[in-house]
Amino acid sequence: MELLDRYLQAVKKHLPWQGQDDIMAELRVNLESQLEDKQSALGRPLTTGEAEDWLKEVGPPLQVAARYQPQQFLIGPSVFPTYYFVLRTAFLWTAIVYSIVSAVQIFASGTPSITAVLEAILRVPVILLNTALWVTLTFAAIEFAFTHYPGLFPAMPGSPANWSPSTLPPLEKGPVFGTTPRSYAHAAAEVVFGCLLLSWLLLIPQHPSFLLGPGAAYLQASPFQLAYIWVLFFWTIIGLNLLQLVWRCVDLWQGTWQSPSPVRPIAFKIFGIVPLLLLLSVRDHVWVFLKHPALDQDRYGEVVDQINQGIYRVLLLICAIVVLQLLWDIGHISVNSYRKHVAAMQ
Amino acid sequence: MTLTDTLFENLRLELRRGCLTLAVLAQLRQEYYGYTLRKALADRGLVIDESTLYSLLRRLETQGLLTSQWREEDKRQKRFYRLSTYGEQIFTQLLQEWHVINASITSFL
Repeated sequence: MELLDRYLQAVKKHLPWQGQDDIMAELRVNLESQLEDKQSALGRPLTTGEAEDWLKEVGPPLQVAARYQPQQFLIGPSVFPTYYFVLRTAFLWTAIVYSIVSAVQIFASGTPSITAVLEAILRVPVILLNTALWVTLTFAAIEFAFTHYPGLFPAMPGSPANWSPSTLPPLEKGPVFGTTPRSYAHAAAEVVFGCLLLSWLLLIPQHPSFLLGPGAAYLQASPFQLAYIWVLFFWTIIGLNLLQLVWRCVDLWQGTWQSPSPVRPIAFKIFGIVPLLLLLSVRDHVWVFLKHPALDQDRYGEVVDQINQGIYRVLLLICAIVVLQLLWDIGHISVNSYRKHVAAMQ
Repeated sequence: MTLTDTLFENLRLELRRGCLTLAVLAQLRQEYYGYTLRKALADRGLVIDESTLYSLLRRLETQGLLTSQWREEDKRQKRFYRLSTYGEQIFTQLLQEWHVINASITSFL
């Protein structure tokens, strides 16, 4: 039957080279026997349509051939949990080390800029992909070694054979995020201390020494003056504190202090970036200038430049830390929500 | 196919996989070649795809549980399979396990 020959030829093309003829001979005889049975039941040869239907039932050649292949996977179920753990750990440490190295490189270049920071951020996916590639290749090699030479290698660290309860980490101190309800006293104390903090902040314009201590007197006597942007920055901070205080009061009023939304700290961290961006938006990066440039430029000009450069670097660093912390918190909340969702589904 | 159908199909395949191996080992206490074995299983209510069965036979043979032999029958060379000595030992153990699971599940129902 020509159709059967064509079918077997198609199957053969997808079979492993080793044992190909043997598999083909067996498959042919089995299918021919089946065909004979069908034909003797009908009392006539199969029509083309019937033969096509029959071979459709047997399955597509690629699928039939695939069943003769050994089960193939890069990393098997016994190694996968360790691989996944190592991959996550590698991602975390790569991100930390890369952030530190990039920050050092950017500041060491002498002219740190937003562009350099953005470039460093854009390189992160490539770095992480590289890490994933090397971890995966390493574990694929381990899987190969364990599968093909099981007697030559001891059990992997962390594998069930090596595991012992004594290696479990000690209990973590403190409540797990978002699981322990806050007490009323805790919530009320937050409001009280929020009011005190706001009052203290509001007194600073009249009494700068409340913030700077003896430095306030020095600043007044020094040839340096703070730029107007610091005033805007100060009132943005006041606004943020006021907003937080109002939010806490609403919690107390509505009785929702026990489990405040986990989104709130995220929202405040996002708002917290605003004053930093405000400071960074200053034209020519001038946060401190001379009171009498005509008189003091020669003597203090270089010092003012160094102070402004230092402020710029510190602001960039703080900005990077806040953004990283924000991303971490968002990731943490997302993972917690996902876990709760999965737990609810089960 | 709905999500429920897919889930059921996956669970059904999972459940059948081990049972099929046991059924094939049980049936091969006497000699069969691929096609007649499939018919014998189907006659007892266990329908199995050709490609699944033939590849399973090869895997079991590679694992040393079956032996095979090419022989002429009805003017055609056919490969006959039967349980090896090692296969008989493993089959006995698997059968015991099957009885334990079966009794346990029956007690739940």
